[in-house]
Amino acid sequence: MCKKEKYFRFRLCLLLLAAILFGLNSLMIPQASGQKRFDGIEITVFTQPPPFIAKPVQMFRADWEKKTGAKVKLITAPWAELYPKMISSFTMGAKKYDIIIFPAAWLADFAGNNFLVPLDDFIAKDKELAWNDILPVYRERICSYAGEIWAVPMDGDNHIFYYRKDALDNLEYQKKFKDKYGYALAPPKTWKQHREIAEFFNGWDWDGDGRLEYGVVEAMRKDDQAYWTFFSRAAAYVSIPGQPGGLFFDPNTMEPLINSPGHVKALEDWIKVKQFGVPGVVNMDSGEIRNVFTIGDASMAIDWGDIGVMADTSPESTIKGQCGYTIMPGTTRVWDYKKQTWAEFPNGNQAPYLAFGGWLAAIDAKSDHIEAAYDFISFLGKPENSYISVTTPETGFNPCRKMHFDRLAGWFGYGFVNPKDYLGAIEATIAHDNVQPDLRIPGTARYFEALDPQLAMALAGNKTAKEALDAVAKEWKRITEDIGKDAQLKAYRASLGLLIK
Amino acid sequence: MKSIISLFTGKWAGRSFLSPTVCILLALTIFPFFFSLWLTFSKVSFIGGVNIQFVGLRNWARLFEDERFYNAISNTLIIVFVAVSMEYLLGLGLAILLSNSKIKGRGFFRILYLTPMMLAPIAVGYMGRMMFNFNRGPVNHLLRQVGFPPVEWLTNTQTAIYSIIMMDIWQWTPLMFLILFAGLETIPSGFFEAARVDGASRWQLFRYIIFPLLIPASLAAILIRVLETFKVIDIIYIMTGGGPGISTETMTLFGYSLGLNAFDLVYGSTIAFSLFVIVLVVSIVLLLLTRRFQEQ
Repeated sequence: MCKKEKYFRFRLCLLLLAAILFGLNSLMIPQASGQKRFDGIEITVFTQPPPFIAKPVQMFRADWEKKTGAKVKLITAPWAELYPKMISSFTMGAKKYDIIIFPAAWLADFAGNNFLVPLDDFIAKDKELAWNDILPVYRERICSYAGEIWAVPMDGDNHIFYYRKDALDNLEYQKKFKDKYGYALAPPKTWKQHREIAEFFNGWDWDGDGRLEYGVVEAMRKDDQAYWTFFSRAAAYVSIPGQPGGLFFDPNTMEPLINSPGHVKALEDWIKVKQFGVPGVVNMDSGEIRNVFTIGDASMAIDWGDIGVMADTSPESTIKGQCGYTIMPGTTRVWDYKKQTWAEFPNGNQAPYLAFGGWLAAIDAKSDHIEAAYDFISFLGKPENSYISVTTPETGFNPCRKMHFDRLAGWFGYGFVNPKDYLGAIEATIAHDNVQPDLRIPGTARYFEALDPQLAMALAGNKTAKEALDAVAKEWKRITEDIGKDAQLKAYRASLGLLIK
Repeated sequence: MKSIISLFTGKWAGRSFLSPTVCILLALTIFPFFFSLWLTFSKVSFIGGVNIQFVGLRNWARLFEDERFYNAISNTLIIVFVAVSMEYLLGLGLAILLSNSKIKGRGFFRILYLTPMMLAPIAVGYMGRMMFNFNRGPVNHLLRQVGFPPVEWLTNTQTAIYSIIMMDIWQWTPLMFLILFAGLETIPSGFFEAARVDGASRWQLFRYIIFPLLIPASLAAILIRVLETFKVIDIIYIMTGGGPGISTETMTLFGYSLGLNAFDLVYGSTIAFSLFVIVLVVSIVLLLLTRRFQEQ
């Protein structure tokens, strides 16, 4: 065998070896990717269009896909189409969405009909999610229905109270206010004080910017979110600490309480404060009030966490560092629906309201990929990712975990001047002994839709508070009868954590 | 085989070729129409799947007891009557003005006047909301400049509906103008020349030649706008959301609130059908009028 031939054979052997190694390698690759838990699976997530609420899905899906081998398909629909699309997919068993991210108020409609997967077992085994770090009110009340957990909170929502520090802390104004009203000017503890402060700061240039400023700005527009503002005002008038159920229905009879003297008084107060509002306040929606407050036109406002974010981080804001935060004012008299009398609270009764309750993520009970869907929800909601979401602009997510309140670095990075105060007001609201959760029974949207035009008519001066709320009570009775009184009573008691009769 | 071929060649050929279209039409329009009609006599529950129960005239009785229904009808009729009348008068005036060959740059103005019609109603709604904003809107700014007090255009129950009407007129007068201008162009010039020879004044030209000969075009334009204005929702939704109170809530907005916001499908369908009946009656009256004038 000549040298040349030997060399040729040697090269042939090398080539064969390379081919074998290449073959083995290509066999190894699928084996390696097969080790990824959900290789080849595609899950669909359905929520409203980005940026708000859908943005965190866009932010974290690539990492999860890399980790698990699965794919995430995001489907969105405008707000008004969310509920119809979700409910029609569930009722038809269409399995269109594996995960839905939806408002907490709809949980009863979905969980009550077993459209969702109960998550208790998943959560019990899940170390990554740090379930106990989620604040108890979201963990135990907002995500639960009839004793089971059906969703993971992505966002915590509640109304807090905003005021202009440069107005209320001004020594000259404090003196003038005390001379006029006989008590110290400070963030209001009662709705009466709130009205008087609104009156004091209405219609003059108290911040020296050459323009008139006004007392208050609150969302009053129909077909927006006015009913949540109303319940935030009414809660303290009708919620006696330790006595559940005063805000919506009598939990023993399912009779509407919406036209109780407490509710009527709250609406009368709201109508009265309108005169100290920014011109046109009667038809302003949440978006408008945020703009109006952050460009410096009003001394006080009620909103979710959004005004706080915009005041310090929006380039259009003229009040950076001047925004104060506290829990909602209260009352000194509370309507006791059981005794049918006013109860006196000389030191004040506060009852912050978890308006809206936040956005939850849940899984369609008929999904073919329940495990993968849960894994993605857990990834999205785990502490570190959740923290990034609540401290990133335009995610629409607000704090709902203990660690969101403990770590301030992210909030300073976000642009907050006084994050401790902002988070303090939210925490004080959520952790309050007399905090009132939102209505969470089947047909919630119908009850609110019946209330909305009547509030609008009362605010526009077409009806008195009593006339408007009597009409709502009549309509609520009809809706309850229509859906089924017994079933609704059970659902309402379940939502309040009461024993189901 | 022969019988299959005969389906496409014999007397059945026409029907065979039409059948796919008819089937699609039945599936996509006729079926949903009758299903929605059926819903107006039903109750729908989603507990344990979709359950539809016949309840007779209950939804209709609820509609006729509902104060929002009468308010919505009243608002809709005000918008239809005022907006369409103004659009017709302004459109007619512009059409006559721009048909005058002595006006320089007629072509430019014709295109300019058509611009609002090309905008999406949502965009027009946002424009209206900004224009009529109490504090920062240009309309109130101008009023202040000339010494008038600012007006609560969108936040007063008395003025809000007229602000909406103004935006509707701004957007849709061009359509009237377009149709009437086309109608004017079809009138033979000999009619005008003969009238002028007889010593007719401008008013007489309008009264005895232009107006009568424009009646078919006018009725067509009015019919189109009436039908469209009955269904108006986008501009109102953006500008006022039906408020303050329910002072600008129209039938479509009322149906939208109940049907989609509250997901009360049966009541939403009942509202939609009540609007359908009203529009049908108005359309029949207008079509009869058109036919009568055409016969004359």
